[in-house]
This record gives sequence, structure tokens and C-alpha cells, in this order.
Amino acid sequence: MLFFSFFKTLVDQEVTVELKNDIEIKGTLKSVDQYLNLKLDNISGINETKYPHLSAIKNLFIRGSTVRYVHMDPRSVDCTLLQDASRRGKFLFLFITMASYSLPRDKKVRRTNYITEAVAQSSK
Amino acid sequence: MSNTDVDGNPQEPFDLVRYQLDELVLVKLRGAREMKGRLQGYDSHCNMVLSDAVEYIYDLGEEVNSNPTVKKSEMVFVRGDSVILINPIN
Amino acid sequence: MSESAADVKKESSKLDPSKFLSEIIGNAVTVKLHNGVEYLGKLQSIDGYMNIVLDETKEVINGNIGRTYGDVFLRGNNGKYLQYLKLPF
Repeated sequence: MLFFSFFKTLVDQEVTVELKNDIEIKGTLKSVDQYLNLKLDNISGINETKYPHLSAIKNLFIRGSTVRYVHMDPRSVDCTLLQDASRRGKFLFLFITMASYSLPRDKKVRRTNYITEAVAQSSK
Repeated sequence: MSNTDVDGNPQEPFDLVRYQLDELVLVKLRGAREMKGRLQGYDSHCNMVLSDAVEYIYDLGEEVNSNPTVKKSEMVFVRGDSVILINPIN
Repeated sequence: MSESAADVKKESSKLDPSKFLSEIIGNAVTVKLHNGVEYLGKLQSIDGYMNIVLDETKEVINGNIGRTYGDVFLRGNNGKYLQYLKLPF
């Protein structure tokens, strides 16, 4: 659950997904589910020389289990929050998940604030 | 299972990982890979986020030869099912 | 811990697996993984997923001692078996 919430905070950010078969896909994260399946938009730079047939793809769905790594911009990660959440385990993330569900989709800037609020609430 | 350490405190394997938050870890992964980085988060599947990570890719499962491919990443999520072991670096 | 080692050996036949595992905490064990690599160390803790923490660990690859680690966390799914050694640690 923790990383489900984590990936929800990365929606609309650019990420690079490396699959277990070594394919790397760069794109905008559009959605994520509890299995950490990912939907990417604006796909670019799938190792074009190696897989030219993939260069026509504009958006795709990635089954979570095939993912090896997801690289992201460090500026889009609140490290303190993530560490704190990992220490507290499951409870906190129930809060965070609830908080981010209740968010309007276009207000992504406020999302991190919401999560910080959830942390504050759960530690009361 | 409630084991105890020397001081009689209950202990479980994930305690070791928790102590390493914001510290350096070496993670051994499937496919003859290793990743060193600062642990920013983890869950019970060993999914992890590492910052300032360096990945070492060795040839053909033989880690004896000492010239791995090195890749750097400022912030990376590692899916837990690839994880073999986690070692704290002090 | 080593004085209890003999007791553990005597009784281990009638213990259930999880009891056996908690009884041998602090003793020397080898853990063999599915990839063939073995880890020899002092068993520090173990949980229901068979995640294991070893102390003073030596990595053994095809019978040759490789790297040594202080503490090491082994993810449960990689384990093939855990062997309890009569070595005092």
C-alpha cells in the first residue's frame, strides 16, 4: 500500500521504467493501481536502436510484476515523508490512501500537502 | 514470531531494514545486479526507494570478475521481487 | 547460546518448524538460496515469510568463500533451506 500511495504522488510526472527484460521506457505516469501496474503517456526513448518496432507506441500499460526499476526526478520525492511512512508501516498509509482518494485529480500540487496532513493526523 | 535480541527487545528481520532508513545499503538483486544507495523507503515486499543510487551489473552471474557496468540514478524505485539480500553499509 | 545447542538437537525432532527456528536463534546456520549461493552466519532473526537476518555472514559461492557481511537481510522467497550447524559461535 505504501508504494501505491507513493506512486500516486508521482502521477503526471516523468518517469523511466526499466523492465526485467531490460527494456527502458520513458514517459509520463498517468495512473497506478494496487499491484503497481502503471499507465504511461507521451512515451519516448524506448531503446530505439534495439527495439525500432516499439517507437510508434504513444502510451501503454505495464504489468507491475514485469518492472525492475522506476527512475524518477528526486525533486518529486519527499524523502522525509517516505522514511517516516516506512517506519510507521501500514497504519499511516491507510490515511494517505484515503487522503489522496479524496483529492480532485487536477489539484496535484496540493497532493503532497494532503499527505503531510495525513502524517500529522496519524501521529496525534 | 517474537524473538529477542541481546537486550531482550523483540526483534524481527525487517528491524534491520528499518534501522537503515536514511543510511546506505547494498542490495543484491536477481540478474547479477547490485545497487548501492541511501534507503528512503521500503515495504514488506522489499520494494524500496533509494537515492543517489549506483547500480552494478555483472556479466553472466559471475561476480568474481571485477568490471561491472555501472549506472547511476538520483532516485529509483526497486521492485521487491528482484531483491535477494540487503546489507547495511556503515 | 552454545550450551543450549545440545538440548535443541535432542528436542528438535519433536518441535514444529517455527519453534525449531526460534530455538536456534543465535546459533550458526547456513542458508542456501535457490541460486546456489550459501550464506554462513549467526541467525539473528527470522519471520513467517522466512525473511532471515544473519550476523557475521560469509557468502559461499560454489564452495568458495566470497564476500563477508556484518549483518545481512535475506528475502524469504530466495531461500531453499536453512541448515543448523553444531558450531558454537
